[in-house]
Amino acid sequence: MVDSKQGVSSPKQSSEVGAKISRLLQNQSILLVITLVILGLFFQWGSNGIFLGLGTLGTVLTDWGSYILLAVAQTFVVITGGIDLSVGSVVSLSSVIAGWVLVNGMHADASITGSAANGYLLIATLVSVAVGMIVGLVNAFLINVFKIVPFIATLATMGAAAGLAIIISGGMPLQGPDNHDLGIDWVVGGVELPMSTTVLVVLIVTVIAGLFLHKSRFGLYTFSLGSNAFATRAAGINVERHITKVYVLSGALAGLAGAYAYIRLGAGSPSNGMGMELYAIAATVIGGASLMGGVGRILGVALGTLVLFTVQSGLLMMQVFQVSPDWKQVIVAILIAAAVAVQTFQNKNGRK
Amino acid sequence: MKRSLRTAAALTAVAALSLTAAGCAQSSGTASDKKLSIAFVMGAESDPFFQAMKVGAQAEAKAEGVNLIWQGDASHYDVATEVPIVDNVIAQKPDGLVLIPTDPTGLQASSDKAVAAGIAVANVDTHVNDLSKVITFITGDNGDGGAKAADAIATKIGYTDGKKYEVVVGLTSATATTNVARLEGFKAAVAAKYPGIEIKDVAYSASNPQTASSNVNNWLTKYPNLSGIFAIDGTNASGAASALQAKKLTGKIALVGYDAYPANVALIKAGVFTALIAQDPAAEARLAIKTLVEYIKKGTKPAQRDVVIPNVALTADTSAADLAKYTYVASK
Repeated sequence: MVDSKQGVSSPKQSSEVGAKISRLLQNQSILLVITLVILGLFFQWGSNGIFLGLGTLGTVLTDWGSYILLAVAQTFVVITGGIDLSVGSVVSLSSVIAGWVLVNGMHADASITGSAANGYLLIATLVSVAVGMIVGLVNAFLINVFKIVPFIATLATMGAAAGLAIIISGGMPLQGPDNHDLGIDWVVGGVELPMSTTVLVVLIVTVIAGLFLHKSRFGLYTFSLGSNAFATRAAGINVERHITKVYVLSGALAGLAGAYAYIRLGAGSPSNGMGMELYAIAATVIGGASLMGGVGRILGVALGTLVLFTVQSGLLMMQVFQVSPDWKQVIVAILIAAAVAVQTFQNKNGRK
Repeated sequence: MKRSLRTAAALTAVAALSLTAAGCAQSSGTASDKKLSIAFVMGAESDPFFQAMKVGAQAEAKAEGVNLIWQGDASHYDVATEVPIVDNVIAQKPDGLVLIPTDPTGLQASSDKAVAAGIAVANVDTHVNDLSKVITFITGDNGDGGAKAADAIATKIGYTDGKKYEVVVGLTSATATTNVARLEGFKAAVAAKYPGIEIKDVAYSASNPQTASSNVNNWLTKYPNLSGIFAIDGTNASGAASALQAKKLTGKIALVGYDAYPANVALIKAGVFTALIAQDPAAEARLAIKTLVEYIKKGTKPAQRDVVIPNVALTADTSAADLAKYTYVASK
């Protein structure tokens, strides 16, 4: 665009700086970090100076722990070009079955607390993950064998899992053994740190899942499937088997989120996962994954989830002007639309 | 409308309930030629409130020797899903229909259609606009429940005039009619009796107890001097209880919940809940079936069409028998 005869150094330099900035803005993770900083400062002002503190961070990270596993699960699935609507219902169903096994199977009730409950909670976790994997298998079966598109296949299992959760629980929370200490933020030297045992476990699982997606052959196949399923098949990869693995992994992660919900609430309730799939999809999209497939990063999704729950907590904390809870949905919707718009803009620029 | 009926109707409810109990014993002997069938249609069938109602309906149907047709969308409390279900049920030609309309206007036509088909119609919990052709309307008093919650919080915090107290209310959504009625009752009682209590904030859980829990976490940071929480339904009650337990604040902040889930009833004794406001959905269902069967068999309408079954506040002082009576039973 710049006339070469003008050949002065300053426009060239500024265009270099511009290119650098635009390259930085191409990176969804950096954009999200900038967004987080801006949100943090805004809510700090809006809350009369109480938002930025370890207490809030602890609350935001506890919510992050509830949703990040579903967002990670969704990321794997979305990269293949699919979608998994069943993850929220899997949280409900897996926590209900875990509660049922402890209460009715092992006759252990809520009187078992503290570290005495840990053994039971381990069993609850294993049961939850197994339940999630079974739902994942059903999803894969519907997709591979009946050739049902993932949206409809997982819509069906979403309904079925939610219904089963109600049938098994009789519509009420099943309260069993629990160790509240696992979900409580650590207190070191009188200071409440924004980290609990359960959040740490979730964080570790997220890091492992990230390495698995970005550094393993499994991850490579996942990306390749979403970019071009035909070429992937032509390259000799068993597409059906890989799809099965991805949906079973998604179910397993959702089952783990069910165990997290059980430990957080001390009960398996059929509403534990109510509506979570939509937040998981939103977090995935805000994190830079494309619903068209082939694109997504776990780091971005982890940050996207953080943005989502920073906004949720921040809006509730507002004091300079109170934000009605009715506006929360609208603001989250705008956030999602903005994230997708930025993505489209990046793609356009990237193609130049 | 509800409130004006309350006083007189509460007495009727008690009388009608004792009739129900007496009636159950006799009815097994009076076998008619044809087995009657009574349909029950609601929205969001999975709601624990309806699940508890189902237990009462099943028990009464068995005692009366009638067939029970129990129908409703599993998860949507919505007029669009309820209308086709009512139409299907009418096509099955039951003798009676207990309708729990998700919308007073939207279900009016379905109700009229049933009456025109010769089906005796009762309303439970909520009602259609025109009750003139409805045999009976039985409901719990949510406004009264909200007022009882205000009383329970005031007692717990040792309310004294002139002092200031901060409370918050956890709702499920802005549109759930029961939430709205309870909140109105709560606000009215606070305004009338406890002017020192300020309702600082409300938030929605969208029926997810994890969301309800993090709302409470955020409030604890936002309002360091918080005195009380009114958790307006079972989901909010579960979430708030877990948040207070995790922060080791049980007993320090007054927590009044709604709905007597067994898990939450156990937490009254543990001191987590100051009080739980309980409805008696099973009694509503039993009375509705009882009234319809009597009308179909003998043509007798109830002395009073509208019956309000009061909510009760369950506290640590409530007798074990009463706790057991009001605790929701999981349906089979």
